[in-house]
Amino acid sequence: MRQSLSLVLLLALIISAGAVLFRPGSSYVHQDRDALFAQASPVHPAGTDGMGRDRLVRVSAALLLSLAGATIASALSTAAAAAVGILSASSPGVIGSLTLLVCDAFLALPWMFLLMMVRSAIPLTTSPLASAVITFLVLAALGWPACARAVYRGTRQLRHSDWMLYAAASGLKSNQIVRALAPNLLPLLLPQFLVSLPAFIIAEANLGALGLGIAEPLPSWGGMLAELGNSATLLETRWVYLPVALLVLVLLLLEAITAEAQR
Amino acid sequence: MRPLLASVRWFVRACFVVVLVMLGTTVLVRSAPGYLSDAREMDQHYAHAARDELAVVAAQSRSPLAMLRQELSSWFKGEGGESRQYGIPVIELIGPRLSVTGKLLCESLGLSWLGAIGAALLSSSVRRPRFLWQIPSTLLLAIPTAAMATLCLMMGFGGPVAVMVLCLAARDFKFLHAILRKSWLEPYVLHARGQGISTARILLTHVLPATGPQLGALASLSIVTALSALVPVEVIFNVPGLGQLAWNAALNRDLPVLLAATMIMAAAVVLAGATKFESEHWRRA
Amino acid sequence: MNLQKQPFLFVFVAVFALWPSVGQGQNAPRLPGELAWTIAYDPKTFDPAKVDDEASERVRYLTAGVLLRFNRATQRVEPSLAESSALSEDGKVLTIRLHSGLRFSDGSALTAKDAAWSIRRVLLPETKAAVAEEFLDAANVTVQTPDDRTIIVHLPKRVIGIEKIFDEIAIEPAERSSEARVTSGPFFLSDYRRSQYVRLKRNPYYRDTGKGLPRATGVRLDILENYEQIVRLLVRSDYDLIDNLPPDYFEMLKRKAPATVRDIGPSLNTEQMWFNQSPTSPISDWEKAWFRNRAFRVAISQAIHRDDLARIAYLGHATPAFSFISPANTTWFNRNLRLPARGLEQAKASLHEGGFYLEGSTLKDAQGHPVRFSILTNAGNEARGKMATLIQQDLAALGIQVTVVTLDFPALIERLMHTQDYEACLLGLANVDPDPNTMMNLWLSSSPEHQWNPSEKSPATPWEAEIDRAMTTQASSMKMAERVAAVDRVQQIVAEQQPFIYLVYPNALVAISPYLQGAQPAALVPRVSWNVEQLSVRGLR
Repeated sequence: MRQSLSLVLLLALIISAGAVLFRPGSSYVHQDRDALFAQASPVHPAGTDGMGRDRLVRVSAALLLSLAGATIASALSTAAAAAVGILSASSPGVIGSLTLLVCDAFLALPWMFLLMMVRSAIPLTTSPLASAVITFLVLAALGWPACARAVYRGTRQLRHSDWMLYAAASGLKSNQIVRALAPNLLPLLLPQFLVSLPAFIIAEANLGALGLGIAEPLPSWGGMLAELGNSATLLETRWVYLPVALLVLVLLLLEAITAEAQR
Repeated sequence: MRPLLASVRWFVRACFVVVLVMLGTTVLVRSAPGYLSDAREMDQHYAHAARDELAVVAAQSRSPLAMLRQELSSWFKGEGGESRQYGIPVIELIGPRLSVTGKLLCESLGLSWLGAIGAALLSSSVRRPRFLWQIPSTLLLAIPTAAMATLCLMMGFGGPVAVMVLCLAARDFKFLHAILRKSWLEPYVLHARGQGISTARILLTHVLPATGPQLGALASLSIVTALSALVPVEVIFNVPGLGQLAWNAALNRDLPVLLAATMIMAAAVVLAGATKFESEHWRRA
Repeated sequence: MNLQKQPFLFVFVAVFALWPSVGQGQNAPRLPGELAWTIAYDPKTFDPAKVDDEASERVRYLTAGVLLRFNRATQRVEPSLAESSALSEDGKVLTIRLHSGLRFSDGSALTAKDAAWSIRRVLLPETKAAVAEEFLDAANVTVQTPDDRTIIVHLPKRVIGIEKIFDEIAIEPAERSSEARVTSGPFFLSDYRRSQYVRLKRNPYYRDTGKGLPRATGVRLDILENYEQIVRLLVRSDYDLIDNLPPDYFEMLKRKAPATVRDIGPSLNTEQMWFNQSPTSPISDWEKAWFRNRAFRVAISQAIHRDDLARIAYLGHATPAFSFISPANTTWFNRNLRLPARGLEQAKASLHEGGFYLEGSTLKDAQGHPVRFSILTNAGNEARGKMATLIQQDLAALGIQVTVVTLDFPALIERLMHTQDYEACLLGLANVDPDPNTMMNLWLSSSPEHQWNPSEKSPATPWEAEIDRAMTTQASSMKMAERVAAVDRVQQIVAEQQPFIYLVYPNALVAISPYLQGAQPAALVPRVSWNVEQLSVRGLR
């Protein structure tokens, strides 16, 4: 019951954001330069930001863009972690050791330099949307090793459990065993997905310093969250808390939706 | 004999990881844009001096392998290379900071695990888990580290340890809640509860032993997360630790210092991977 | 189910009981009478002759005794360790007479011999002093000391503003260079903790010690970059001043403690945008054609709303700019500059003149290429990022699609100075000296710092050749009027050709603790601490 209610609420939120964004006359780029940090009004229901842009429209656009990007990136990185972890744990020990070795090395390397090289490789006039897509893909590519380790360890432990030995002795094939393993790893994978989502949204904003991330004039949810780090902005308006409130709401709804699967 | 062999194997593996990381770091740093640039080139007063320095660096960095060879030989001499920023042996830079970062890491991990386990034990063991339990951790995950630091500074309460604990505990809680919740709903645990066995006994005899390996895996994940969270926390709070050093080294393309930092990170990651909570230790039925 | 909460409550209590509040930053406790403020990063060197970065320069300013000091408030050179100085008619002989009875901070006597040794050391190629370059022909400069108190410097070539250069030459004990531990300035280095602080102590033998100077017992410079912390600690009176406040923190501090903040007015600094005009850059040929088209550059300049940049990006703490000389530079600012008319319609007319046309809502060049380019700027400067976004919108009204890319400094410099792989750039220039002669390297077409087209073998355009001539004239002329006319001409050419599209002059924004006495902030750096020997703290607990 709670799951369906949460799903409905989440869809309603997404549709509302879409409605606000695509309403005729609304624009996330238009700067009302005489109304900076304006309070809520019929014209600007959530006020304006430091450049006179409608906050509600920008937050809606940011929600749709970052949610899509971060969800896909989290899903990809969690799936990659699961695949690498399960496959290496199900393979001969040497492969497993090698995989762990690669994961450990991966975790220690300073990937910000690779990100700089990615920025050098793409043209400077790459559109903000394309740059956003590239950013989330890069985050997905870099976000899997830590969880892969944990999945590997979890899988090894499950492989040696009584019921798995019994199943293997009963003649279950490898792919069937893998399919049986996956649900038992959900307590590790689902939280990983839910934890990665806000982490990727926040990380996207940090990548702005390296030339990646969601570039202006596209609104960046991570960038709006980063505004909370500036006490000068916090004093201007209460509406600066809107993005974080929405993110918490979205995450709780996703939590409720996936709670059933965790059981 | 077997434990000795296992230790030797583990040590060899660790060395291999460290060498791989050193090679990777050298290639990444050398190939990334800005290695042979200096902000002072734009300042007319210092442009000449900056260009002379860069010429020296360029002469020493013709190929990543040559650079790596030079770094390794200086490590064997016990200096760790010379910092490009400070012009002193890297060992002198790293030494005092290791204890600062180690202390911050241990305090943060200890407190965050205590907090997360305590909260997860409570949240997972109630009959009808209230959704409200999830709100604090979700809120903490949604706030960037810099914002948390600013809020701490504005309130005048909390410091680098507080921010690290909040970030880590929020993440750990999510995993712990899921793992423990699943364990509480196992048929034999439900049966034990139905029989009237006390919660504490069920916890110590059934839930924790069964989840031990997963907790071990989570601990290593947590340590890795803590190592990454160190950098922004140390930078924002100006803690003179390894994270701050590594960050400044990255911005200034100081390869010898970066190599040392990534080597230490690699060693820490390998150590983190060695955390195990074998179920045998817990069975005290 | 009987939930036994006690063990878990114990866990929670333990957590909160053990909750440590590790102190923010590593502030050493303040010593009595000690001043305190911050520098952004560790000084690279304490050797005053080898200073080549801002933090080291700050420490040198506070510790070095100099023969002649450039007064930041009056913008005139005045004697310091020198009693008097005289420059010959031809500008090639500088005679300096020292005060009598001067001593270093360790009590040893300071004589002409020490001064001569210090000057010669700076000029030696081995020292690699940045200031040596300003002598133009450092190898052939000679220094004589006919007596204990007289130094005569013979210059092979006349140097404009030679006296000002001595502001950067620290007088150290001969043969005993000590990296600021033995100085002739108001303070000497007493302690340095890497990444934490630099501590200076009062020089008991300072030349004005009879007048009770320096008033403070010492200075502690904390190494801190985070403005959240710096501002908070100033409000708490842990710091006495902030030399350079970003506009948003200025406004915040103005609300919390209005008496502490001062907007001194336009600084000498400029913020500008320029296009890549280098013929060897890897950008496409049609982009090169746009950027070398005068009408295009002028149109961009006309379309930008500089008032909005000052009002929105700098919260009103900036002045619209049209020249590389700030109005704060009263001697050199050209009040009679003739500027192209500004506005959207004027910009459209200029574009039309340049062969561009509008197709739908997209601007295209004569060959049909849609006009789009990127503006590069450095990450971490919020005001610049806002300006880039505002300019993006201003140019969208012309049908130009602009992408804004922020990079970290080394990657940005590589593109600007080495690969020339960029289209437009938005950066600032910090001018510490009002004399435009210090900007020679920026304007000479053959210089590597000639940003829009570095290291030209010969001037690429007639107007660049004219700028070369004018700048050479001002560097060699003996008459001030001639120099001013030459610089006026350069300003006019720049206004007409727009190689740099000047945007704003940011104001000098500082904060001063109510406990700090003697502060007279100036627009030139170091803004508040320029008269450090007069500063003291009173009334602190």
